[in-house]
Amino acid sequence: MNIETTGTEPYGCEAYKELFRNIMSDIGKGILIDEAMIMLRPEVPLFVFSVMLKAEPDNKRISDAASLRIEGDDVFITISDERYAPDILSQLWKRYTRANVDQQTRFDIVIKNADMDEVADIEISSGEETKKEILGAVWRSMPEGIRVRFNQTDGRVLTIMATEEIVRPEMKEEARIIHAEMLARSRGEADV
Amino acid sequence: MYDGGVYRSDELYELIEDVGGTVLQRTRSSQMLTVTMSVPGEDRPMVEKLCRELGGEIREVPLAGTEIAVVGPTLGRHHMPHPICDIAEQLRQYGAISVVMGLARGRGKATSQISLEEIRIIEEYDVAIMMMGNFKSCIESKTHIFEKIETPVILVTGPMPEGVDDLCEAVIPGIGRKAERMRTVPERAKLTEVADMVMKVLENKRRLLEEDPLFVHPAELKQLLEEYEPIDMSLRPAPVVLHMDGLRVKIPYAENREYLDNLEVYGRRLSEVARITPSKISDSSTIIRIMTDSEVRDRDMRQKEG
Repeated sequence: MNIETTGTEPYGCEAYKELFRNIMSDIGKGILIDEAMIMLRPEVPLFVFSVMLKAEPDNKRISDAASLRIEGDDVFITISDERYAPDILSQLWKRYTRANVDQQTRFDIVIKNADMDEVADIEISSGEETKKEILGAVWRSMPEGIRVRFNQTDGRVLTIMATEEIVRPEMKEEARIIHAEMLARSRGEADV
Repeated sequence: MYDGGVYRSDELYELIEDVGGTVLQRTRSSQMLTVTMSVPGEDRPMVEKLCRELGGEIREVPLAGTEIAVVGPTLGRHHMPHPICDIAEQLRQYGAISVVMGLARGRGKATSQISLEEIRIIEEYDVAIMMMGNFKSCIESKTHIFEKIETPVILVTGPMPEGVDDLCEAVIPGIGRKAERMRTVPERAKLTEVADMVMKVLENKRRLLEEDPLFVHPAELKQLLEEYEPIDMSLRPAPVVLHMDGLRVKIPYAENREYLDNLEVYGRRLSEVARITPSKISDSSTIIRIMTDSEVRDRDMRQKEG
């Protein structure tokens, strides 16, 4: 994750770069972020966090994160993407109850009396949910008192502007400029 | 501080009593026990020998007998648990009783405030450590949060602020807001710096008390209070907490007023030599602030004249 900070206070810029990195790693979303541009102007106060994701988050199904095979009436699942293991297990428990879901090892699960296509089609992660979690993490990175926010989302770029009291048009404009720059960068990389 | 098992701990208590020492704090967790004690220097080898026999460790705790507040702008996840809890934990390693608190409206640059009640609560402690963030301009504009607190305040910040030297006892830069535990070598060194600064600030307070000593030492008063049944039977951890100039007793003042006011201390009623008030945190605790010798003399003279 490449993080770029600009602002009027060098100490704050360095500290927030570290803080942002730690919080994103903490919630396990650091891996999804390609680039982040952070503008910190505490004297106004005005904070803009713009995040470019590696790919636009989309809905994930069990077949995207695991391989499946059927033996008799039982469906065998081998999880290939560890990140989704808890989601897969909880969705299977919800659909087939704990009695019918047997987790043999960390990555191997057997479901009794199930249809393979139906299991493969179960949604384990929604793109909207991922975006919401990243937005939540950005809000968590921002100073607590800076609560008046303005969000912009386009494809894989999320930009959040925040201030303490009144949002003035020029603040929104600054956020739009940063958002547009990130958007251009994301398109440039997509062309390559 | 003795850190070991409960087995044969009675022998330790007896020895502390025999050498004329006192138990400041006793915390038992399952079969483990920590005892913070004060013993005369010449008897220390004897106490150490017994502690070793009991299979425990003994170490010096310079902040024993103090209660310290670590205050954050709020209790939100932006400020908790790191680094506020890391500092509180470090102070516990030095023997202090440390508490963590957050202000109700301490967040923000222009909108942050502290209430009179919060100031009074913080003033119940020996030292207050105020945690601030990573922006210099923000810290400099939030001095109203701590400038009216009468208890010594140590400001812990990220960058070094300007113009705050007269508003607090000390400033420790280089910490600020953090999202993870302070565990690297430079971070541990910073925590040690905070604890050392607390020691230094308390040393100044101690020196003032040496010039004009308290009418009775808080540890002596603690021993007297521990004989009182509601305190003796109290299930709260640390029912009596020592301060440098008094005690926090975890029983309600309203219900025990008669006993506390009339407790005999060196031939005087406690209410004559101490200010006894309900704690501002909750009515279930009482704060006793012992007067100094000169305050007691002054009070006696005024009563004679008046």
